[in-house]
Amino acid sequence: MQQIKWLWSVMDKRFHRKHIIALVISAVTSVMLLINPSLTSRLVDEVIVAQNPEPLIPILMTMLGFKVLRECMRYYMVISLEKTSQNTIFNLRNRLFTRLQYQDMRFFDTHRTGDLMTRMSADADWCRHFLSYIDYSAVDSVVMFLSTSIYFFFVNWKLALALVCVTPLLMLITKVYSKRVRQLFINMRDKLSEMNTAAQENIAGNRVVKAFAREEYEKEGFDKRSSAFRDSHLAINKLWLSFYPFIEILANAMTLITVFLGGLFLIQGELTPGELTIFTSLSWAVAHPMRMLGNLLNDFQRFSTCANKIMEMDLGKPSIVDNSCAVSHEKLQGKVEFRNVSFAYDGQDVLKDITFTANPGDTIAIMGPTGSGKTTIIQLLARFYDVRQGEILVDDCDVRKWKLQELRGGIGTALQDVFLFSDTAEGNVAFGNQELTFEEVRDFANRAAADDFITKLPEGYDTIIGERGVGLSGGQRQRIALARALAMRPGILIMDDTTSAVDMETEQYIQQQLKELPYDCTKIIIAQRISSVKDADQILVLDRTGAIAERGTHQELLKNHGYYYETYCLQNGIEIEGGND
Amino acid sequence: MARNKFDVDESLESPFDLGHLKRAFKYISRHKVKMLLALLLSACASIAGLFVPKITQWVMDEAVPNKDVGMLGKMALLFLGIICLSIVFTVIRSRIMAHVSQEIIYDIRKDLFAHLQKLPFSYYDSRPAGKILVRVINYVNSVSDILSNGIINSILEIINLIFIVVFMFSTNVTMSLIVIAGLPIFAGIIWYLKPRQRKAWQNQSNKNSNYNAYLAESIDGVRVSQLFARQDVNLSIMERLAIACRSAWMRAVYISNSVWFSSEMITQLVFTVMYIAGVYWLGGAIVSFGVILAMGQYVGRFWQPITALANIYNSFVNNLAYLERIFETMDEPVVVDDKEDALTLPDITGEVHFNDVTFGYEEGIQVLEHMDLHVKAGESIALVGPTGAGKSTIVNLLCRFYNLNSGSITLKGEDGKTYDITDVTLNSLRNQLGIMLQDSFIFSGTIMDNIRYGRLNATEDEIRTAAKMVRADDFISEMPQGYLTTVNERGNRLSQGQKQLVSFARTLLSDPRILILDEATSSIDTKTEKLLQEGIQALLKNRTSFIIAHRLSTIKNCDRILYISNKGILEAGSHDELIAKRGAYYELYTAQARDQGLVDE
Repeated sequence: MQQIKWLWSVMDKRFHRKHIIALVISAVTSVMLLINPSLTSRLVDEVIVAQNPEPLIPILMTMLGFKVLRECMRYYMVISLEKTSQNTIFNLRNRLFTRLQYQDMRFFDTHRTGDLMTRMSADADWCRHFLSYIDYSAVDSVVMFLSTSIYFFFVNWKLALALVCVTPLLMLITKVYSKRVRQLFINMRDKLSEMNTAAQENIAGNRVVKAFAREEYEKEGFDKRSSAFRDSHLAINKLWLSFYPFIEILANAMTLITVFLGGLFLIQGELTPGELTIFTSLSWAVAHPMRMLGNLLNDFQRFSTCANKIMEMDLGKPSIVDNSCAVSHEKLQGKVEFRNVSFAYDGQDVLKDITFTANPGDTIAIMGPTGSGKTTIIQLLARFYDVRQGEILVDDCDVRKWKLQELRGGIGTALQDVFLFSDTAEGNVAFGNQELTFEEVRDFANRAAADDFITKLPEGYDTIIGERGVGLSGGQRQRIALARALAMRPGILIMDDTTSAVDMETEQYIQQQLKELPYDCTKIIIAQRISSVKDADQILVLDRTGAIAERGTHQELLKNHGYYYETYCLQNGIEIEGGND
Repeated sequence: MARNKFDVDESLESPFDLGHLKRAFKYISRHKVKMLLALLLSACASIAGLFVPKITQWVMDEAVPNKDVGMLGKMALLFLGIICLSIVFTVIRSRIMAHVSQEIIYDIRKDLFAHLQKLPFSYYDSRPAGKILVRVINYVNSVSDILSNGIINSILEIINLIFIVVFMFSTNVTMSLIVIAGLPIFAGIIWYLKPRQRKAWQNQSNKNSNYNAYLAESIDGVRVSQLFARQDVNLSIMERLAIACRSAWMRAVYISNSVWFSSEMITQLVFTVMYIAGVYWLGGAIVSFGVILAMGQYVGRFWQPITALANIYNSFVNNLAYLERIFETMDEPVVVDDKEDALTLPDITGEVHFNDVTFGYEEGIQVLEHMDLHVKAGESIALVGPTGAGKSTIVNLLCRFYNLNSGSITLKGEDGKTYDITDVTLNSLRNQLGIMLQDSFIFSGTIMDNIRYGRLNATEDEIRTAAKMVRADDFISEMPQGYLTTVNERGNRLSQGQKQLVSFARTLLSDPRILILDEATSSIDTKTEKLLQEGIQALLKNRTSFIIAHRLSTIKNCDRILYISNKGILEAGSHDELIAKRGAYYELYTAQARDQGLVDE
């Protein structure tokens, strides 16, 4: 029930009335269904049996009129419900999408794409199905059953009572069934999600699959999920079929009771033949809703399983949101200060006691072994996670007091794991700054050494770049990602190993360009190459435990004879030997 | 090839043809016997059902007037018996059909997925992943019911219809003609609606596919969107796609719902005309009252199956849009495939020949032209050169991810024979090659499983050894659950460098004859890289290897360095030879050396 309440709240207020009116129409039209059969019996009695053609046309026209009216109302109702359910699903999609867009990283660390996709497509579709079909069918059935029963009570209360006696039994059966089928639906829903995930990862990782010639293995894995999904369906069917006979017998009991108990009553004189005719001719109107009930019950259980999944997503608030006391900033100036920052992920320490300051315009470089937490530093700066201890200040204001959009809007990041969108090259560069002119896009692409190869693409800047930039080489993707970050005109520019796949010459060109940017910004560079970091105002070297082991300028660190010096020797020392040959 | 974007509809060129139905029939015909049985059971259930009115009649006509309570009781038992029988029939039919429809889904999905495994990179590169996903999952789910129960039910309805028609005509031909006269009108309406309906549902499936594509992409790219504070723009794109979905849906349901609406209307009209004709035109003398009474009931019973058929047809038309998409995907040409008489590649020595190889990804734009290369068994080859020069292309061609435009690539087998890579099965070829790609994809699962992907029957110890060799064991062991820590592609659990180490371990585990490292260590710090190189030194000894790297320090010790530029090999030789040559490599090398701060010293 709480699912319905929630779904109701998703629907626009102005559609509430429309939806209720449609349900009322559904109720009215299901009662109207009883009118024409009774008119038919009048037709038989008054025209044919009485051999009197006079009432023929009026009765026929009334019937036709009723039919046209009913079907028009019915059509209107169906379309109304489609409209209101589409409105709801539209709101739902927007709401869930907004949720996703603002959800924190922990959420994405723990939810698989395939599962989220299932929620937003299949689950959402069941919510639509509920509003456009399940609810009115339920109203239809209940109204039909009740109105016929009431009518029966007026005709002969004893027989009617006998019929209604069946209902508690039916209630009992449906209750037991609902309880047992719920778990099966949850299971089926999970199997669907697992299958979805398997297919999604297979598509995303198709290069790896091919590289390892793992097609057969993938097929096996997918088959396993696909058959688990099939079996989950069959399990529901099996349970349903074990209950179906009872429901069907109860539905048939309606006819049984009318005919035989009615017959007995007739023999005993408790009932007139005319009354019995009414009962027999309308017994379907009580039996049919009972049959419908089973199907509706299944649909409803499935709906509520799906709705639960979506509700969980809808009601799951991100933990990283604008603070109530967040202050508005005009523009991000670029001062960055880490004060004794520590951070742990799932109980594993990642960063320990990080302290450094960068003034606007400074260049800070971060080095360190693989997995030492370099990328974490920038994720904390962009407030993807909140620090466990200490504080991070941007422009002398704690990042937790920044408005997220303003903070992130002022930071331009080129991540090492490049994700491009299936958009044109131009669209990808202008991703964070929609107002750029084409000249500006080219200018920034040029600064990132991307203009050359983009113009050589079949349709130049209008070429659609596939998702993740497939079709481009690693270095080319990185350069587009860099152009994208530059185009934001950020106050803080972060380059997370952005040029690792770019050849040295191009890298040098890019570094030169970075010195001549048309705006001021603080630069934070994460890199493995000495060449990328040596000109920084301050170089931080992290150690395996996530603490700062060394800091200083290139020259200072060389004298230090630590990790930096070792790396320098490894990268250069070999060259010195080579140069001496 | 034109790439598809999330908001561009995928056009479907072929007009609908019966071929689709024939293909669908292939999936159905496997269950012929079961479906026939189900049909038979349904027929039995219907026939049993026919006795119910008969029993009612007996009760009313005989038992009640005779006040025969005993007969009433017997009839009640008979009634119960028939109901039970009919329930048994129905239960068995449902059980059978549930299996059939689930098997059909399963079979279609299996074939579709299997075909997807064969499709080239270009297929995946040219469309958003979400559009592929929606076909495998959502579309297949949608079509099953129509292909199983839809068919059974329409056959039943048709049989039903035939019976009614026979009964009707045997009652009164003239009146029957009036009842049937509504049919051409209905057919006309259907004929008018059909193309519109089909288009509307196709359009709806397109919009839905666009929506799903954008959704998948947004989830995968969420980190970038948040970093660029782009959520508002994304929301408006999403809204636009959702509006398109909504209006496409509404248009489709407007049309679809008019089908039942018109059939209901025609039924009532026919009923009216039939009565008027019966009473006036034919006159009480020609047509008996009983006939009119009976015909009045036949109207309903004739049009009921027609409405039911119209509804089945309706859902058939909207599912057809999905079926077309599914078959279209299955028809997607497999560019790189095993030859019919493909051999299993025996163990190879590692000797590789590139003979006059020409290749381009897009028509007319060659990446390599007339390239020749001979690599000896056990040789280590480094590929250097500017970004986009075709270094990765060379190794991609060796793995036969693409077919050559011209020329050939051959491998030497341990049996002394030479094998063209197009003559052997892809599976046996790639099993002997270990390629470590630029982007290291991590599957959701444990780290252990991710490494094991390289060799499925590897033991835990072998996995640990491989991880140790690439220096990944240290950080993996430090994780809370060690090798059993769960990771996923989007997750932040592993840093980029760590992901590279994991996929490096995965490649080593596969124990290839030829090892290909494409920027395998670009995100790994120099010290780890050094240790790693020492670690795999022994391993590399008897293997041919191709190494692509920008940091020249990584590749300096290779037996031969190829400088790739200008659609081919510009320079080749050992480090010392190339330095002595003072060509492109020398330039690159000195530039790097200068850049590294060597000049400062």
